[in-house]
Amino acid sequence: MNRRDTPTDSVSQPARQWHQALGVGSVYLFVVAFLIIGRLISPGFWATESLLQVVKDVSILGIIAVGVAFITLSGHYVDLSIPAIMACSGIVAACALPLGLPTALLAGVATGGTLGLINGLMVGYLRLNPILWTLAAMSVLDGITRWAYGGKWVYVRQDTGPGAAFASIYRGEWFGFLPVTVALFALVAVLGDFLMRWTGYGKQLKLTGASYAAARLTGVNVRRTVMVAFLVSGLTAALGGIIKTSFSKYGDVEIGLTYDFQAITAVVIGGVTLAGGRGTIPGVIGGVLVIGLLGRILPLIPGIGQDEQFMIRGVVFVAAAGLNLLALRRAGRSDA
Amino acid sequence: MTNLGPALQMKGVSQRFPGTLAVDRVDFDVQAGEVHALVGENGAGKSTLVRLIAGSFPDYTGEVLMRGRPVALHSPAAAKACGIQMIHQELSLAAPISLAENILAGRLPRNRVWLDRHAMWSETRKWLACVGLDLDPGTPVEEISQHEAQLVEIAKALSNRPGLLVMDEPTSALSHDEVRRLFGIIQDLKSNGLAIIYISHHLPEVFEVADRVTVMRDGRAVGTHEVRNVTSRQLVEMMIGGVPSDMYAKRTAAPGAIKLRGEGLTRWGFFHNCSFHVRAGEILGLGGLSGAGRSELLRSLCGIDPLDAGRISLAGKVIAPRTYAQAIAAGFAYLSEDRKTEGLALRLTVAENLLAAIIPRQCRWGVYVGHQPDGPLRRYLRGLNVQPLEPERELATLSGGNQQKVLLAKWLATDPEVLILDEPTRGVDVGAKAVIHRAIAEVADRGRCVILVSSDLPELVGLSDRILIMRRGHLLGEMSGPQCREQSVLLAVNGEMGVLKP
Repeated sequence: MNRRDTPTDSVSQPARQWHQALGVGSVYLFVVAFLIIGRLISPGFWATESLLQVVKDVSILGIIAVGVAFITLSGHYVDLSIPAIMACSGIVAACALPLGLPTALLAGVATGGTLGLINGLMVGYLRLNPILWTLAAMSVLDGITRWAYGGKWVYVRQDTGPGAAFASIYRGEWFGFLPVTVALFALVAVLGDFLMRWTGYGKQLKLTGASYAAARLTGVNVRRTVMVAFLVSGLTAALGGIIKTSFSKYGDVEIGLTYDFQAITAVVIGGVTLAGGRGTIPGVIGGVLVIGLLGRILPLIPGIGQDEQFMIRGVVFVAAAGLNLLALRRAGRSDA
Repeated sequence: MTNLGPALQMKGVSQRFPGTLAVDRVDFDVQAGEVHALVGENGAGKSTLVRLIAGSFPDYTGEVLMRGRPVALHSPAAAKACGIQMIHQELSLAAPISLAENILAGRLPRNRVWLDRHAMWSETRKWLACVGLDLDPGTPVEEISQHEAQLVEIAKALSNRPGLLVMDEPTSALSHDEVRRLFGIIQDLKSNGLAIIYISHHLPEVFEVADRVTVMRDGRAVGTHEVRNVTSRQLVEMMIGGVPSDMYAKRTAAPGAIKLRGEGLTRWGFFHNCSFHVRAGEILGLGGLSGAGRSELLRSLCGIDPLDAGRISLAGKVIAPRTYAQAIAAGFAYLSEDRKTEGLALRLTVAENLLAAIIPRQCRWGVYVGHQPDGPLRRYLRGLNVQPLEPERELATLSGGNQQKVLLAKWLATDPEVLILDEPTRGVDVGAKAVIHRAIAEVADRGRCVILVSSDLPELVGLSDRILIMRRGHLLGEMSGPQCREQSVLLAVNGEMGVLKP
């Protein structure tokens, strides 16, 4: 028995539980703190419309981040071709609008699914490095869309029925108060959480991320598991791209820019380990909300301009990720 | 043997690790111009002793003398300065750069400013010639073969003009002819007055190449002999020593009908035409040296690695699992020898690891329904006495022995028909070992097949009802009943087949 085999964890029981609770929810400390700061700065901040607006600001990001969380949990970091998938899906949906709204939406989502599937085959089955492959896929897809559309915008014609309906996805509200995008975000989050926590696939995904070799020698079809993670991310990116296209009312190759990095930021703030195998969808939602709240609150503070906003954001991101890390270390988890 | 005086003398040397005395008051010496072999079972302390000589431990106790002068081998640099060179089992060459730069690393010849390529090349050629290689010094290491790399490694060590050369299993990657060549080189080096420490599991090699042999057991040097005065039987007895064999109570239940049958199993380059059977309720041991192909055979048997030819039948039905998942569904379970990377996900909880192999079974339409609080979980943890009994604890915080119990529990939870155990008690303390052995015997008593691979000979002999001997990818024969003794198994796996049934 060598020296590393002795139990290293001597933290007492109540302390462990405190840290464990914090490890999952540390990002929500920031959410609550920002809610309070927002209330102090602007008295109307806690009004339902105001809070819904915060969520609406980040609902596209949130949908995409839920998908990215599957890739990160599987130990494959991120899909850097998300901006291109968003653009392709949005353009395809916009082009297919004359065929009717359902067909257009289906075509857009299918496009994202197909692209995600290709990424998944390359990374999962051919074991290409996820960063290198998705970066290359980003470049190729971007080139193809630019070549096909010559950088032209594909307008959503609002004078047609499907066009008007498409444009109302972003603008629309259900029951008179609930923005459609927020409802879609909530739906995706619930589905994602269910898939990750309550299905055999989610359990095997976590195992694969925690230890690829151990998962393989437990009989998990690790290649397919990784592929499905990229497929999920492709589908959520497509949904995000369609909503974004509905917002801008034209399909464009650049609608998805920076969403890949924002999504991985939200995922990491939300406590998903980049090494894989640890993280939850509620945590990711927390990360998305932190980004949303910061975006709303910072402009309200007098004397803070664009440059200062970027700096403060950077500090908050490091602090949120750092607190999560600290909680994990205190609980005896060194890999985070 | 030309006696030129001692190159290295060790008096009462000890090395303590937390909890164990890995090297226990060892007296050991090597003469100049002598090959001194070091043998012993896994964990006997050979490797620790030579790592100590190579300067790996700053805190050993005892006295070491080189050519009669006391020295302190407290760092690898100090050991090198004393003229000690070590050739490791794993190669230490840098793959993308040339042979010359590898061999002369750290002291490349220069003429004022630039590297002196001419001197570099001729110097490298000289050392390569010493080991019988005629290669271009500019060849990158990655372009030469494994056995050439092994020889280059020796050339690199020689180029430092050592007084003492330590070789740890130098023949493990070499073919028969290359071993001959290596032995010729060792004879040359010996006649030039070099002292050599030679570690090997292969006793025939020891008799061929060594002048003296020291046997280690439990950290002690239990005896040093001239090789011409001992037999391999005597060496084996010294290696095994007085291990009490009543640790393993013989099970009373007789094995039933043949349940698992493998016929002509072949994976080219790993194992060839292996046929065997296992009866219900039988523990079948698989004996062999490392590299004999035991793990490879078992991994192919349950679909983890490919199988090129052969037929597997379980309970009379021919099965051909294409994936490991299919094999698990058919009733196979393979406990990997590498607990930390292949066996368990240390970052997940005990519960998550324990239930990992039965995730598919606990799903209905893909939805996980296995959240019963007293499912297999606590039963297995309690049955194997896992400490602490906290299913939500992260696995990495458990001791090695308890981790190994969780690994076994993970596979017991699948209720396998064929339980394949690859080193089930590696790095585990005595208490955990006993618990694991009892659990294995219970599985067999329930009429299941157990196949056991273990380099722990007392364990292999004590647990198995029957032992198959595997050597260089072939099943050579079997032993059972009274002939199944540690020493006969050790002789058989070393190629002395006289002890086998025809």
